[in-house]
Amino acid sequence: MTRTPAGRRPPRLRTVLLTGAGWLVGLVFLLPYLQMGLTALKSGDELNESPGSYLPHSWQWSNFVDVWSDAPIWKNIQVSLLVAAVATLVTLLCALPAAYYTARNRFRGRNAFLLLVLVTQMFAPTALVIGIYREMVALNLTDTLMALILVNAAFNLPFCVWILHGYFSSIPKELEEAAFLDGAGRIGALTRVTLPISMPGVVTAVVYTFISAWNEYIVALTVTASPDRRPLTVAIPSFVTQYQEHWQYLFATSLIGIVPVVILFIFIERFLIGGLTAGSIK
Amino acid sequence: MHDVKPGVRDLGAPAPRSRPSAARRAGRALAPLLWLGPALVLIAVVVLWPVVEMVRTSLLKISSSGVTLGSTGSRNYLDLFDETDLIPVVLRTLLWVAGVVAITMVLSLALGQLLNARFPGRRLVRWTVIVPWAASVLMTALVWKWMLDNYSGLVNRLLLDLHVIDHPVNWLAHPDQAMLWMMWVAVFVSLPFTSFVILAGLQTIPGEVYEAARVDGAGTLRTYFGITLPLLRPSVLIASIVNVINVFNSFPIIWTMTQGGPGHATDTTTTFMYKIAFFDQNVGESAAMAVVNFVLILVMVLLYLRASRWREEIR
Amino acid sequence: MKRHLMGAIAAGLTVALSVSGCGKGSSSKGDGSDGKTIKFVAAIYSDNTEPYWQALIKDFEAKNAGYKVQLEMVDWAQMDAKVKTYVQTKQVPDLLNYNAFSDFARDGLIYKASEVVSPQVLSDFSPTFVDQAKYSGEQYALPFISSARLLFYNKALFKKAGIADPPKTWADVKTDAEKVKKSGQIGYGLPLGPEEAQAEFYSWAMNNGGDWVDGSGKWAINQPANIETLAFLKDLNKSGLTQPNPETTDRKTVFNQFAQGKIGMSIGGPFTKASFIDPAKKNIDFGVAPLPTKAGGDPSTLGVMDVLASFKKDGGKNKEAVTKFLDFFYQKDNTAKFLTKEGFLPVTKSANDLLSADPYMKQFVDALPTSKFAPTGNPAWTAVAGAVKQSLGTSVADGDPKKVLDEIQKTAEKSG
Repeated sequence: MTRTPAGRRPPRLRTVLLTGAGWLVGLVFLLPYLQMGLTALKSGDELNESPGSYLPHSWQWSNFVDVWSDAPIWKNIQVSLLVAAVATLVTLLCALPAAYYTARNRFRGRNAFLLLVLVTQMFAPTALVIGIYREMVALNLTDTLMALILVNAAFNLPFCVWILHGYFSSIPKELEEAAFLDGAGRIGALTRVTLPISMPGVVTAVVYTFISAWNEYIVALTVTASPDRRPLTVAIPSFVTQYQEHWQYLFATSLIGIVPVVILFIFIERFLIGGLTAGSIK
Repeated sequence: MHDVKPGVRDLGAPAPRSRPSAARRAGRALAPLLWLGPALVLIAVVVLWPVVEMVRTSLLKISSSGVTLGSTGSRNYLDLFDETDLIPVVLRTLLWVAGVVAITMVLSLALGQLLNARFPGRRLVRWTVIVPWAASVLMTALVWKWMLDNYSGLVNRLLLDLHVIDHPVNWLAHPDQAMLWMMWVAVFVSLPFTSFVILAGLQTIPGEVYEAARVDGAGTLRTYFGITLPLLRPSVLIASIVNVINVFNSFPIIWTMTQGGPGHATDTTTTFMYKIAFFDQNVGESAAMAVVNFVLILVMVLLYLRASRWREEIR
Repeated sequence: MKRHLMGAIAAGLTVALSVSGCGKGSSSKGDGSDGKTIKFVAAIYSDNTEPYWQALIKDFEAKNAGYKVQLEMVDWAQMDAKVKTYVQTKQVPDLLNYNAFSDFARDGLIYKASEVVSPQVLSDFSPTFVDQAKYSGEQYALPFISSARLLFYNKALFKKAGIADPPKTWADVKTDAEKVKKSGQIGYGLPLGPEEAQAEFYSWAMNNGGDWVDGSGKWAINQPANIETLAFLKDLNKSGLTQPNPETTDRKTVFNQFAQGKIGMSIGGPFTKASFIDPAKKNIDFGVAPLPTKAGGDPSTLGVMDVLASFKKDGGKNKEAVTKFLDFFYQKDNTAKFLTKEGFLPVTKSANDLLSADPYMKQFVDALPTSKFAPTGNPAWTAVAGAVKQSLGTSVADGDPKKVLDEIQKTAEKSG
């Protein structure tokens, strides 16, 4: 089966199989969210029918309107987005210099630092929630978005340092030196050569932090009190309480929260793939 | 920065031959602090402080209402090791982590390959794979819980209509079934991140490598196991460590779907810890569980790193 | 350079610790204010709860110039965790709406009832509830709402199965459940999942002469009457007369199915109609009967009481504002409005007659004198209830009733 690149046949069957597999995967990934959408469009009494229905008997588009009036979800979405965005920025500002410096320089304490980063990565806010709450009380930050930003930034920092460290290490020093010799200066070499090449790493770090912050539940639950300072993750489960189950509102709100982030991701994905191809590291 | 003469010294590395002035030396000594400082401060203040609090709490006697009643030595740890449920919970946690991470890695390697291949609609499929990542884990766990509902769930409806089962199955009520479903949900939410890391790894492999393999006459499988997989090692390493840590500490999936029940039959150490604090009203013992939890994951990650010789990666 | 790095970490920690020191000092001072602003943490009972409090507080603030109430609404599912962190971090609210109080009283965290309400309000509480609000002979908690449990049965299903009257004895329950099952539906809805296993279990155990404690007030959870009760419930489950998996079923699931007309009998409270049966819009024909007893004796009913408790703060500076607010809430009309909106039973004599006007509610009000309560006055109760919620259900599935109760007894004795 030795083929020269020029003599490649169009591999029909392979494409068909790949397409089939690809679309099946797509369906599997979308299915739960389709079900979310269909449930969000059912009426409250239909939800308790058993066996459940596939499609709503009557499509309750008003559910999507009701959630806006019932709960301050616009506020919750804003909080979630704001916390995730600022935490990502803080993480990046702290992680970039640390990762760059450890990748480019050997100094005593370097391994200690990298080990500290790795060990820190193992702590999850879930395990430390009482400690975190005590701390926020001490810092007078309970029920503030600052508390959420700090926690999310700090707990995602290790991963970002780590992944950026990996990317910076993989970029040959010579590339940077060349720019340096051209008179770009050290910062210039960093911003003009190293950063653009490490874009995939930066994007990964950004996406990872953003999503972890967006997902965070326990700390937000404990630290926030006012309804308008709660992120979406804390607001959503309150639709299912001891006495009432509003699955339709729960899922309507979830979808409203998911859609903007999916769109955001679609843009980042283009960028990620683009960045990856541009950063051809050879 | 511009006063540094190009070519005088290697970039970044301290120059051994030049004789720096005292001020310069001080400047260079402080340089790591300047670069690492923000990260160190953030870690120390927001992460290490609660850790210290946690260890301290594990040595305190705390009444059921939450008032601290003084030191209690190792009492909390003794109480914890006296729990009959502890050993099963720890074993289940190890199984949960190993199972979820292994399945995630295998599926992600395949998925990464698929998303890297060319076929019509690839971009759309990539987008759908992102969706569980963009939806929070909590929302995904909630929708799966709803789909697995005994009375109105989609899964039972579908299986009944397909005549796979003849009466509704209460999936989340039976520990083994519930565990499997929750592991599936954990895999489902871990796949996007992992497969994208793999995908990114695949894209850094230069095309020439494959050309060379093809010229050598290597078959698809041999190319994959001989070339692709070894080159993916850094991606696999990073993805699996991140997954081990996240899956180990995962709380929302189990908490929303079964609350670790019935009894403690589907608890992992994380939910067990939460229950000790908020059902058994024993914050001190819960903190002891948190410390044990941390030691467990530390051992797991260190073993993994040793097995995979991480130092080679970090250099 | 390692030294510098370590120096940096040390410096960071020092800063962190000193900040913590200052922070603590200033935050406790900052809280002191003028004693006219109080923080009230209220539980969410339904969608009506928050609007009720908001309106009441607005009214209160308008009538008492200078006084302010900061409201925080907490869902029951998150309440325990919240309360514990408040106490742990010394960030207690001035007023808390909760279902337990005795460990706060034991640890000296809350005021006595007489310190935070006027004598008129204090004397208006019904004696049944005052007894439940005491710790070591002193009343600490303020009864807030109450509830009772009765047997709900689906009249249409009973008719179809050929049953004339609701069951009076446990044997009746079993035969009726069998008949309902034969006609194609679930005989008895048994919620022993983590939500409220302790309530369902006690509703049965008390009608078998069982209890949480013995005559001297010592924990007696594994007493024979309780084991027998679980054995009966296990038999119902194993005979296929309940819904599948009682050990993981929560009350709301049972009542949603009851409201769909798929369950013959289940134990419910006053809230069951407004929260489950009416919203389902199936217009099922249901009846309410006393709880069945083992041998057909006089039935008892499960009484449930939630309370308000006021935390000590700033050397008693908050007492005046708390008293003003509580006296305002306990005015007859304000209390009654809450009860009717939420479907609960009164705890004050003055609100009693108001609710007896509704025939559905009257059945529950009438049952109140026969109520038995969980030992909420015992500080270990919260831990016991926690253990019951976690594990009691397993006894009717694969667990052994005696072993499960032994295990809970052990937890109870450990907690004091």
